[in-house]
Amino acid sequence: MTAPKAGAWGKMANRIQKSVPMLMILPSLLLAVLIIGYPILDLAWTSSQEVSRFGKLIGFIGWGNFAEVFADPLFWESLSRTGIWTLAVVAGTLVISMPVAMILNDDFYGRGVARVIVMLPWAISLTMTAVVWRWALNGRSGLLNATLMQAGIIDQPIEWLATAGTAFIVEILVGILVSIPFTTTILLGGLSSMPQDAYEAAVVDGATGWHQFRYITLPLMKPFINIAIVLNVIYVFNSLPIIWVMTEGGPANGTDILVTYLYKLAFRFGQLGKAAAISLVMFGVLLIFTILYVALISRNDADDAAPEAEVDDEH
Amino acid sequence: MSSVTIRDVKKRYGAMQVLHGVDLEIRDREFVVLVGPSGCGKSTLLRMIAGLESVSSGDIIIGDKVVNDVPAKSRDIAMVFQNYALYPHMSVYENMSFSLRLRRQAKEVIDRKVREAAEILNLGKFLDRSPRQLSGGQRQRVAMGRALVRDPQVFLFDEPLSNLDAKLRVVMRTEIKALHQRLQTTSVYVTHDQIEAMTMADRIVVMNGGKIEQIGSPLELYDTPANLFVAGFIGSPSMNFIEGVLGRDAGGAFVELPGGVRLAVPTMASGVAGQKVVFGARPEHCALAKGDAGVAVQVEVVEPTGANIQVYTKLAGTPFCAIFAERHEFKPGQTIRLDFPADKIHLFDVETGARL
Amino acid sequence: MNTKLRKSIFYWVLLLPLAVVNIFPFAVMFVTAVRPRDELFVYPPTWGFSEFRWENFSEMWVKTNFGGALMNSLYVSITATALALLLAIPSAYAMSRYRFAGKGAYRIFLLMTQMMSPIVLVLGLFRLMMTLGLVNDLNSLVITYAAFNLAFTIWMLQSYFNSIPRDLEEAAWMDGASHLTSLVRIFLPLAVPAMVVTAIFTFINSWNEFVLALTMMRSSNDFTLPVQIYAQVAGRYQVEWHHVMAGTVLATVPVAIVFSWLQRYLIRGMALGAVK
Repeated sequence: MTAPKAGAWGKMANRIQKSVPMLMILPSLLLAVLIIGYPILDLAWTSSQEVSRFGKLIGFIGWGNFAEVFADPLFWESLSRTGIWTLAVVAGTLVISMPVAMILNDDFYGRGVARVIVMLPWAISLTMTAVVWRWALNGRSGLLNATLMQAGIIDQPIEWLATAGTAFIVEILVGILVSIPFTTTILLGGLSSMPQDAYEAAVVDGATGWHQFRYITLPLMKPFINIAIVLNVIYVFNSLPIIWVMTEGGPANGTDILVTYLYKLAFRFGQLGKAAAISLVMFGVLLIFTILYVALISRNDADDAAPEAEVDDEH
Repeated sequence: MSSVTIRDVKKRYGAMQVLHGVDLEIRDREFVVLVGPSGCGKSTLLRMIAGLESVSSGDIIIGDKVVNDVPAKSRDIAMVFQNYALYPHMSVYENMSFSLRLRRQAKEVIDRKVREAAEILNLGKFLDRSPRQLSGGQRQRVAMGRALVRDPQVFLFDEPLSNLDAKLRVVMRTEIKALHQRLQTTSVYVTHDQIEAMTMADRIVVMNGGKIEQIGSPLELYDTPANLFVAGFIGSPSMNFIEGVLGRDAGGAFVELPGGVRLAVPTMASGVAGQKVVFGARPEHCALAKGDAGVAVQVEVVEPTGANIQVYTKLAGTPFCAIFAERHEFKPGQTIRLDFPADKIHLFDVETGARL
Repeated sequence: MNTKLRKSIFYWVLLLPLAVVNIFPFAVMFVTAVRPRDELFVYPPTWGFSEFRWENFSEMWVKTNFGGALMNSLYVSITATALALLLAIPSAYAMSRYRFAGKGAYRIFLLMTQMMSPIVLVLGLFRLMMTLGLVNDLNSLVITYAAFNLAFTIWMLQSYFNSIPRDLEEAAWMDGASHLTSLVRIFLPLAVPAMVVTAIFTFINSWNEFVLALTMMRSSNDFTLPVQIYAQVAGRYQVEWHHVMAGTVLATVPVAIVFSWLQRYLIRGMALGAVK
């Protein structure tokens, strides 16, 4: 050290400089912790409390609420319906989105218009979509019945939402419909990054269209398909508006999934302890999916090293 | 203008050490080129001089001031970036005048300096254009112009020509050299291209693995490379290397190659008989032997470039390239005899790679 | 017939069912919104109607307090967007430009917040807002929307910031600019388009949010548009569907147009930020 003073200054400047990025992320971190972190702790606490008939917390009961939840047949019904709902919507979405994405990735007349039409459901909120469908599916005068009757397909109007069985199927179909744009977008992102020369090489090697799809497109699309699946599972699993607006989980709890059941327990019946317990169960499930998602994207990241990780002096 | 001194400078990123103690004295008005393969630390060193990377230990001295803790903006250094880093939302004029405007210089002064620089660089017509509308070569000139208007202590160049096509690169190389001869500003230039280094530098610093391998003028490096790395890095096509054993007999010193071939080497070369060595010969220093002298090799591939003929063969089992300025009619499969003038060959220790 | 034309026809035939189903709700909206009230419940149901009644819109506006809900939605969405951007810009800049301890952890934390949907936390959030005295206060929505949009906003901005070369700022420093000067004169002007696009998406997300608004806003004066329209439908014996659909048209069509127009930026941002 030729100039100890300068060195001390340097160290301090260094320390200040090091804390700059921390200070920059701090405000967003604080808000996220308050709004997203704290409620989880509060839910954990609430789930351990006994709740009075008027929704007041009156004392610690340990795992009591969980025991009550697991003893509740409605919980198990909602859980299994959540499984069906999630599986059906995600699978249906993927089966439709893959060919749609492949079509939209190709060059044809009217592709711009086609893209806008395919993406349309994304532009409206789920609540509005569900309200419109609720009217369109009206058992007497709904325009779906109008369409089918005017086309001569049926001669009696169908009460789409009156029985749980049909209502749930219809809700799944609407769920698929609104998930297609997002899924198609992710798949399109993958398709547009496909190496063109691989296809040319395959054609030169004598591969048919099916071979190209099977041996080039599908393997290369796998990371994107995986991400689409995981993200969709998370979104669909959490989705309240469609079922809530169209049937509120009815008739007779026949279309309840976990989120609608949870919402009713918390804000209709004042069963805060049980609702908190279900929230925590859902949180656990989400955590597993999130970890899965993190693992998936970090595997993708490892494939094309993060740009800021370069220590090398070439760019 | 001033000198730049680098004293035992090290750079660490966490556990990763990128520079292992670098010492370098860049004299006032000198044009020094840092050259080495990618990842050798040359750009990191340049960015440390610029003040864009912190110094983990050691000192960087510009003029006679330690600048370790001086931020980039106060070092009075201009830098030309690899991707030019032209401000896309400013015109060429605004790009070039930005630094002067920041220093709140008078409008007339700014205008005069920008026009002068534009004149030198042939950019007069483009001052109102946006960088987007320029060709690669023109952008490169604007980047130079931005440095030029400032009249800084030191110019830094970070692979400025690597995004240009081969022809333009040669033109700009000459232009930069001419510019330096005219302005005499101390310059540090980073490249991975040894030809750029050879043609432009007053002195070349060859770096590898975060260390300096050798410092010297272009011809010093070419004639007396300090070690195997420098010998292989400088010169194109690169020097041929063959491992062998040093021997001495009445006729003088020789290297015995695998298969028993003996090649005479200068007697004054240090090293003891029986020592394992690497024999090095530049392709352009091979001669065709007369009569039975020299070593017989079989021609495998012949590449005439017009200016010379490159011949690829194997010598003692190792691929070997020879270049002849004269026009020989070689055929693949043909046997020729090569001779190596003793004063043009190089010997290196196998273990350390150091020159013998 | 050339091959591209043939291919186009083939593709359109495949896409037709999806296109019909996607356009169907819009048709339902319009056709219902403009028909006379006594032609809502006719039997047999039909698409046809006797006259365009544009007065439905003005009637609906007055009767359903649409204007009030619109102002609430605008206030919440604009303020939440501003707050989210204000917090996200420095974070995204730090993520894009610095290496620092805890960066990876912060990234994963953001990811987890992105995965947590409001519905799972809604009870805890409601109790939090009770404690803060913010139930029935639109600002409770402002801060929750800002928080739930942070991860997305930071990703979007970061992916755009990454595409602004770092050496532009370095060049500015070499030119003698301080960090602040280079930020204001070089970085921010280049980042404006990214911020506008991100802001619009955050706005749309807030505009469309349902669960939290339904939970936190207990008095009809504080309803945002989705809740207000839902309230016209839920638990009523007689639903004025022509008003509901008129409200839906007004609440969704402008947003849908903006969204369709900007959607390619969303695709790009997601491709860079979330998927990678």
